Amino acid sequence: MNNKLSCNQLTQPRATELRKSVTWLVLILAAFAIELPVTAGDVSAPGWLHALANVALPAHDEKTDAVQLFSEQIVTVQSADKVRTLVREAYKILRPGGREHGYIVVGIDLHTKVISMRGWCIPAQGKDYEVKDKEAMEFSLLHVEGSELISDVRDKVLQIPASDPGNLIGYEYEVEVQPYILQDFWHFQETAPAREARYTLQLPPGWEYKATWLNYPAEQPASSGNNQWQWVVSDVKGIRHEDHMPPWRGIAGQMIVSFFPPGGAAANKGFSSWSEMGTWYSGLTAGRRDASPEIKQSVAALTASAPTTLDKMRAVARFVQQNIRYVAIELGIGGFQPHPAMDVFTHRYGDCKDKATLMSAMLHQFGVESYYVIINSRRGTVTGSTPAIANGFNHAILAIRLPDGLEDSSLTAVIKHPTLGRILFFDPTDELTPIGSLHGDLQSNFGLVVTPDGGSLVELPMLPPELNGIRRTGKMILEANGTLKGDIKEVRFGDRARAQRWELRAAAKDADRIKPIESILTGSFALFHITAASFANFDRTDLPFLYNYSLVAENYAKLAGNLLLVRPRIVGRKSSDLLETKEPRKYAVEFEGPSRDTDVFEIALPAGFELDDLPPPVSADYSFASYHSKTEADGRMLRYTRTFEVKELSVPLAKVEELKKLYRIIASDERNTAVLKPTSH
Amino acid sequence: MFVRRLFPLALALLLCAAASRVRPVSASDEGFQPISPEELKMTSEPQAPGAPAIILFHQVDRDDTRYREYNYFRIKILKEEGRKRADIEIPFIKGKGDVYNIKARTIRPDGSIANFDGKVYEKTVAKSRSLKYLAKTFTLPDIQVGSIIEYYFSRDWEEHYVYDSHWILSDDLFIKHAKFSLKPSTHFAVRWSWKDLPAGTSEPKNEDKFVRMEASNIPAFQTEDFMPPENELKARVDFVYTEDSLELDVDRFWKKHGKKLNEKVESFVGKRKAMEEAVAQIVAPDDPPEAKLHKIYARVQQLRNTSYEVSKTEQEAKRERPKEVKNVEDLWKQGYGDSVQLTWLFLALVRAANLEAYPVVVSARNEYFFNPKLMNTNQLDANVVLVKLNGKDIFCDPGAAFTPFGMLPWPETAVKGLRLDKDGGSWVTTTLPAGAESRIERKARLKLTEEGALEGKLTVTFTGLEALRRRRQQRNEDEASHKTFLEDQVRESVPAGIEVDLTNKPEWASSATALVAEYNLKVPGWASAAGRRAVIAVGLFGSAEKRIFENTTRIHPIYLDYPFEREDEVTIDLPLGWKVSSLPPPQKQDGHVVAYSLKAESDKGTLHLTRKLTVDFVEIDSKYYPALRNFFQVLKTQDEQQIVLQPADAAASN
Repeated sequence: MNNKLSCNQLTQPRATELRKSVTWLVLILAAFAIELPVTAGDVSAPGWLHALANVALPAHDEKTDAVQLFSEQIVTVQSADKVRTLVREAYKILRPGGREHGYIVVGIDLHTKVISMRGWCIPAQGKDYEVKDKEAMEFSLLHVEGSELISDVRDKVLQIPASDPGNLIGYEYEVEVQPYILQDFWHFQETAPAREARYTLQLPPGWEYKATWLNYPAEQPASSGNNQWQWVVSDVKGIRHEDHMPPWRGIAGQMIVSFFPPGGAAANKGFSSWSEMGTWYSGLTAGRRDASPEIKQSVAALTASAPTTLDKMRAVARFVQQNIRYVAIELGIGGFQPHPAMDVFTHRYGDCKDKATLMSAMLHQFGVESYYVIINSRRGTVTGSTPAIANGFNHAILAIRLPDGLEDSSLTAVIKHPTLGRILFFDPTDELTPIGSLHGDLQSNFGLVVTPDGGSLVELPMLPPELNGIRRTGKMILEANGTLKGDIKEVRFGDRARAQRWELRAAAKDADRIKPIESILTGSFALFHITAASFANFDRTDLPFLYNYSLVAENYAKLAGNLLLVRPRIVGRKSSDLLETKEPRKYAVEFEGPSRDTDVFEIALPAGFELDDLPPPVSADYSFASYHSKTEADGRMLRYTRTFEVKELSVPLAKVEELKKLYRIIASDERNTAVLKPTSH
Repeated sequence: MFVRRLFPLALALLLCAAASRVRPVSASDEGFQPISPEELKMTSEPQAPGAPAIILFHQVDRDDTRYREYNYFRIKILKEEGRKRADIEIPFIKGKGDVYNIKARTIRPDGSIANFDGKVYEKTVAKSRSLKYLAKTFTLPDIQVGSIIEYYFSRDWEEHYVYDSHWILSDDLFIKHAKFSLKPSTHFAVRWSWKDLPAGTSEPKNEDKFVRMEASNIPAFQTEDFMPPENELKARVDFVYTEDSLELDVDRFWKKHGKKLNEKVESFVGKRKAMEEAVAQIVAPDDPPEAKLHKIYARVQQLRNTSYEVSKTEQEAKRERPKEVKNVEDLWKQGYGDSVQLTWLFLALVRAANLEAYPVVVSARNEYFFNPKLMNTNQLDANVVLVKLNGKDIFCDPGAAFTPFGMLPWPETAVKGLRLDKDGGSWVTTTLPAGAESRIERKARLKLTEEGALEGKLTVTFTGLEALRRRRQQRNEDEASHKTFLEDQVRESVPAGIEVDLTNKPEWASSATALVAEYNLKVPGWASAAGRRAVIAVGLFGSAEKRIFENTTRIHPIYLDYPFEREDEVTIDLPLGWKVSSLPPPQKQDGHVVAYSLKAESDKGTLHLTRKLTVDFVEIDSKYYPALRNFFQVLKTQDEQQIVLQPADAAASN
């Protein structure tokens, strides 16, 4: 069980994490190569692997690194406390990048042990190679900020020799798991196209199962009697990474199997519904939110001068966000089970579920009830149609039941729950999003709201675009030599403010706090000097983040003969090269969250010049986003206004070409030029 | 071989470094040292404004006679970001050493003390049958802004092992005060050297069998783009043990070392007869000397070079069973070798062709800059051959794959090397190729469409170290990867979304020719609207320079791998009837070590744009940063100069 509820929201890795981790292992193993013992003597790969040497390869293109010729997962449930799984896989390496498949990586922890592990290579020429588990190494990552401080999760890694293009590699390993949950996952779709994948389930007499397919048409199993079933899929397409694609689990074909002992769930380990899973988690967290006298005393002190319930909630939220340091210590069930609130309070540290636990305990002190929400920090991993699964989640937040009559315009992340009434979602781990709001990745995400009587999968709200964005206004003066001077003010809301605060927080010294502005301006000006710069509301996360800066940009407007060419869009870039790729897009484009950015720039024209030509207005409206810009003459003033609004969180594949078109329209508008000519007398 | 060119940046080495062995010193073991009221009260450090935390005190005491080290840290948390310093991880190698006596405490801003009584976890970082790399890890509770974190620990390692010691003073946090001591082993001679010690720091003193040093107000180390190697910039003291008797005279030291090296090299290359037979297969007797040299160079580069292959597992290596190569004759017969061996083979062959050539050991400049006064032989880590031909010195390193004749890989350029001979040798400095020798030349023949797109052919030619770098990067990749790689090179150079398709198969295997890539290119929307007119920017390939030197402030010198040149020649055919209203004037900037020129011309419906950028330095002082930044800002401005066009309809109506 290496899926845990411990994510640090601000540093959560994105979709490429799997590939990155393999790359890391490649480097580490290469460094340790000298340490590895060597299997001696002639060896031969097993018959099942040799049988694959001449099979037809599944469909693939010239960029395919490897194809999977065969995979097999044989799961034998021996009891509610013991499950054995035998895995066999075989790959034909086609390109240098396919060498990564030559690393067998098996996740282990306190409750998962490797019974056996072997790998083989059948080279295009020469004798077979074999490696055995005694040659394996175990790794866990050194602590990096945002990851767990200590965890029992490790990787056992075995490197197959000669995993080179043209060669066939295969491996098998068997693990014995003492499961927390009676559920298994068959992830048969991965980066490499697959020729054939099998899943075999052997249950004890009287046990039953429930299989659910995700992102792939369901296949019916063949039953061999004796409580054994086998599923087979063939010619499964590989999934290739694309930037801003949906999360892997949201698109890859997989089967989820839940096991049920006779007479119902054994030891509360199995569940067939979200409600049952909620019950399981409710049991796991029972008593954890009990408040110690110190917690009670602290809440009293924190809320003493807070006149309203909302003020009290804010005080407690700030305390947990700012005073409880993110530290994850996850051993055994600690990956799922939070530490007691009193421990979190005493130590002043904890992970996401610990912070949620303490916050919940503190809220309870003044009569506000709250509930765990377990969720995945990447929207799309769990959807409304996902069956009840524990390993779909990696994060914990809170659903706060709003007392009757508590209304405030700052409380935006609110839904009406069928049984709990109005609930506010809040992420205490996210130190930069104030209570009332929710950062983009959690919006429209699905989380399990855990209640004492069970729980239900709930879609979190999507916030209006106007709550997230940059409002930029500039008052500038253009000189006849092309120099542009003036002041720009930026007001950042929502995730835009959060990102900027995060960047500034990481600055090692005061002087570095100007760097984000320099970086913004470098993208828009060739030659510029910042003459003044300041920011405001850095610590006041409940207020918009403000930047004010003054600049001088020499040669901003270009002299062309007797004309002066000026780009009305002074600062900021909304266009993107995301879709300017050679390969046709295969998956939807995911936005972080809804947003609305506006720019208003006023440029006073230089003496001796008047407007001759203006760029055309732009108006582009799509279901997912819109862009409107206008350049107008206003006396001796050139005024540029634009609004870019992201209205939906995802652009489906069918509309990706529209998005590409939109980005090109924006890019063109951003380059557009107004022409000034000498004043006619 | 005795010279290692490709230091494997193996984790094994990292581990050795991480487990940096030191020794505890008595008094410090006794416990925590008193905190001053000033330390408690402080909310910022004037010498580190805005710092998230600072190290108030750091102490390292190592005893190489008892194989132990003691470390002490006192850290003041000044901002929330600094609280992460409370997570502590101390790596060590099980069986090779241990970390013990860990004590930690938190001093709250009000002065109350919480001794750490939590759990110290032992975490497996990497484990094999023969090695256990672990880490002691713990976190301190109740850390707030204003708190002081304090901890100390000891470590020891196997007896009878002695390791070089390095006091790296610079940390990513400002250090108020630091104290170091080393009691060297009595079995080996040790010498030490230091560099860039903070102002006011006295040099290390050797007293009573201890080397000691104290330093104060050590600035936080910051990384920047285009800076010299970190090793070169950090304040540090390096101790080097030697098995030989301690030689304090620098010249005598290197003569002695040079003699030893020379004997080894001569023993390896001294197979004259075999080499004469070999060279006879490579050159014709009447070839001019220069032709002979070229042919030998090319032949050696054709041999399989194992240093640049994908690393092999032990099983594969064992199965290959290479014979022991004792000398160049064995190597020639075997037909392959590593990069060091191949360069010495070249030396032997050149000599066999009756050309004057010398072995040279140099110090590559990618990790540090060599200083002979440090008397650290490990820093002479690469080998080249000096050929004297027609009164010229030519440095060659054919063992460095894909290096064109007459050039060296960039880490070996402009560095000091020891030219070996029987008397110990003499110092030489390798050449630095001028920017014009490492070029990216882009020639495009394009037409502008009515919709404002550019379409046509592009040829990009990489020469010198530019070609070498790309060939090395792609050496173990396949054709599909080469294609993507080269297409991405164009994408990165054009400041707009483009469609690009590589149409030829460039020569990847040989360093003898330039790397030439041909493309079909389309740049949608390159011409932008300006009412009745259209405008196009003149700098089509200026993207690489667009975001260079963003920040106004600079701490470190500006350091490049090698000088380079970019030259663009772009021809654009305008749509029928379109006219050029105005062209930007030609531009020329000459900043001595950097130069830029841009010219836009028009002739009968065709635009001709030429742009050239030459960067001819490797390192310049940070005081020149504003001028350099300004140069690139002006360059960007010029790249943005616009050509005003009158589309056909507009031209007619005028």
